[in-house]
Amino acid sequence: MIQATGASLAYSDQGRQVFACKDIDIDVRENEFLGILGPSGSGKSSLLYLLSGLKIPTSGRILYNGADLSSLSDDQRSHLRITQFGFVFQQPYLLGYLTALENVLVSTPQDQDPDSAIEILEKLGLGHKTHRHPHELSGGERQRVCVARALRGSPRVIFADEPTAALDHSNGVSVVTLLNRLRGNGSLVMVTHDPSMLAEADRIVKLADGTLDNG
Amino acid sequence: MNSLSDTEETKADPKISNSHDKPSKPKRRILRPLAPSTYLLRNLGKTIPLTAVIVLAVTLVSGIIAMIDSIPYSIRTVYKYAKEDIGITPRGDPSLLPGLVKDIQDHSPVPIGRVITCRVTSAVVHSIVGKWPFLMLGFNQDDMRYYTARQGARQIVGRYPEPGKPEALVSRPVAKNLGLKLGSIVLKPDDIDNYSPTPVKVVGIAETDRWFMMDPIEYQRANYFPPIDDAMIFAKNSEDQDRLDHWAVKRFKGQRPLVFAYFEIEKNTREMFATLYMILNVVIGALALVITFMMGMLMNIYQSQRLVEFGLLQAIGYTKKQLLRRVLLESVTVIFVGWFFGMILTFGLLHLANALLMAPKAYALDVFDRVAYLYTVPIPFAILVVAVTTVVLRFRKFDPVGVVERRLV
Repeated sequence: MIQATGASLAYSDQGRQVFACKDIDIDVRENEFLGILGPSGSGKSSLLYLLSGLKIPTSGRILYNGADLSSLSDDQRSHLRITQFGFVFQQPYLLGYLTALENVLVSTPQDQDPDSAIEILEKLGLGHKTHRHPHELSGGERQRVCVARALRGSPRVIFADEPTAALDHSNGVSVVTLLNRLRGNGSLVMVTHDPSMLAEADRIVKLADGTLDNG
Repeated sequence: MNSLSDTEETKADPKISNSHDKPSKPKRRILRPLAPSTYLLRNLGKTIPLTAVIVLAVTLVSGIIAMIDSIPYSIRTVYKYAKEDIGITPRGDPSLLPGLVKDIQDHSPVPIGRVITCRVTSAVVHSIVGKWPFLMLGFNQDDMRYYTARQGARQIVGRYPEPGKPEALVSRPVAKNLGLKLGSIVLKPDDIDNYSPTPVKVVGIAETDRWFMMDPIEYQRANYFPPIDDAMIFAKNSEDQDRLDHWAVKRFKGQRPLVFAYFEIEKNTREMFATLYMILNVVIGALALVITFMMGMLMNIYQSQRLVEFGLLQAIGYTKKQLLRRVLLESVTVIFVGWFFGMILTFGLLHLANALLMAPKAYALDVFDRVAYLYTVPIPFAILVVAVTTVVLRFRKFDPVGVVERRLV
C-alpha cells in the first residue's frame, strides 16, 4: 500500500548535509501492524513523516497506492491525510476549547455525526467523558482521545509517533492495545524506542542512524 | 473549512441515563467544532478584549468627528433663521434703502412675498466654542407676527412685545441657550454683550426650533445708534428665496449695500472649516493607523498563541487555505462585531451627551451624523488587512511537523 524506495530526508546544518533518513526501502502492507523500532535520534519520526506525506523526501520516492507523494500538491497531500490516514503524536495534542467528543469530530470534517464518535470514545473507556475538556482529563485519557480522533473515519493507515512517550508503561500498553484492536482493516505504523510496546506488531523494522538495520 | 455539518445536539437517552452500565451523557449542544463562532464564544477571555479595543477605537474616532462636526452644525442651526429672507443694510447711508428695496422689487427674478423694514442691534448667544454674535431684530407689530410665522412658530408662550416698550420675544432655543424665561431680562445696561440702555424683559417665547429674538422697532429707534433702518426681503417660498438670495448677492456685489444671505453663511462656514477638517483628517488618519497596527499586531499575537492548534490541524490534513479561511472568518467576525458595537456605543454616547450636555443649552449635536460614522468604515478593513497579511506571512513558512515534534511549542 505504501512503498518507500531509496527515500532520504536530508537537511542542511551549517552548510553540512545531514541525513535524518537515508536510502530507506520499506513497504507498509494492508492491514498490518508495522513497528519501527529505534533509539532516540535514529530517524524514526522522520521516516513516519515521510511515509505519511507530512514531509517530502529529498531523494527517492514514497508511493501510496502507486501515486508518488512528491508529485502531489500540498493540498492533495492534506486531502490524503485527512481522508486516508489517522495520526497519533507523541504528545496528546487536543484543542483545549473543544470537548473530547468535538476533538474527535475534528478529524472528519465531512462527517459530524456524533454517535459514531461517541461509540469510539466508549470503546476507549471514555464514554462518560465525552463532554469533558482536555484540562479535565488525565494524560492517558487525553492520549486515548487522540487515539479516538485517529480511529474516526476508519483510516486506511494510522501513523503513531511514539504515542506512549508521555505515558506511564501501563497506560502506554493500554493505548497501543486499543489502537491495534480498534484499527479494523486499517494498517498501523508505529514508531517507538520501547520494544515492549511492539509486542502485538506483525512486523518490526529497526532503524539506526537514519538507515534500516537489516541485520 | 471543510463543510462541517450543522449544529447538532446529543440528547441523553432516558434508558441509558438510568442504566448502571452506561454512564449518562449530559445534554450538551455540539457546535461545529471548527466554526469561527465556536472558537470565539469559547475563548471569551481573548475575544472580548479584542472586540472591546475595536469598539473603543470606533467610538473614539466617530465621537471626535461628531463633536467637531457639531461646530459647523451649530453655525447652520443658530443662523438658520436667515434662510427665510435676504437682509440688506445700506451701510451707513439711510437714504439708499428705499432705492435698494425698489430695485429688488422691480428686478427680482421671483415674486416678492414681503418687505420688512427693521432695525437690528447686536447680541450674543453661547456655543460650545464660546460666544457667537447674534441679532436682536426690531420689528413693528405686524412684522413680528409675519416673521414668527415664517420661522415656523407653532405657538407663542406669553405675548408679543408692545410697541415702543423694552420688551422682547425670543424663540425657544434662544431661551434655553441664554437661560431665559418669561420675565427674564435679555438685554441690560451693564451687559456688554447684550446691551440696552434700559433692561429689556422677555414677554414671549416662540415655540420653534429656529433661533431668533425680536423687540419693538420703536424701542430700537429710540435707544440705539446709528439711526439706520435695514430691510428684509422675503420670497414667497423657500425655493424662490434661494433664487432671490443668489440673484441679490450677485446684483449688489462690489456696491455699497451689504447683503446677508444664508447660502453665504453656509459657504463661509465650509471655507472656514476646510482647513480644520484637513488637520482633522490627518489626525484621524494617524489615529486610525496606530489603532490598525496595534490591533493587527494584537490579533497576530493571538494567532501566534494558537500555533499548536494550527500545526495539529495541518498535520492531520487541514490545508493552509482552510486554516487561513478560518482565521479570516474569525477576524472578520471579531472586527465587524467590534465595529457594530462601536457604532451602537457611539450612538448611545452621543445621545447621552446631547441629552445631558448639549440640549439643555440648545447646543447642536447631530447624533445621526453620517460623516462621523463613515469615518469609522476604513478602520475594520484596515485592521483586517493588517491582521490577515501578518497571518498569511506566518503561514507561508509554517511547518506543522515543527509543532508535532514540539520544536515550535
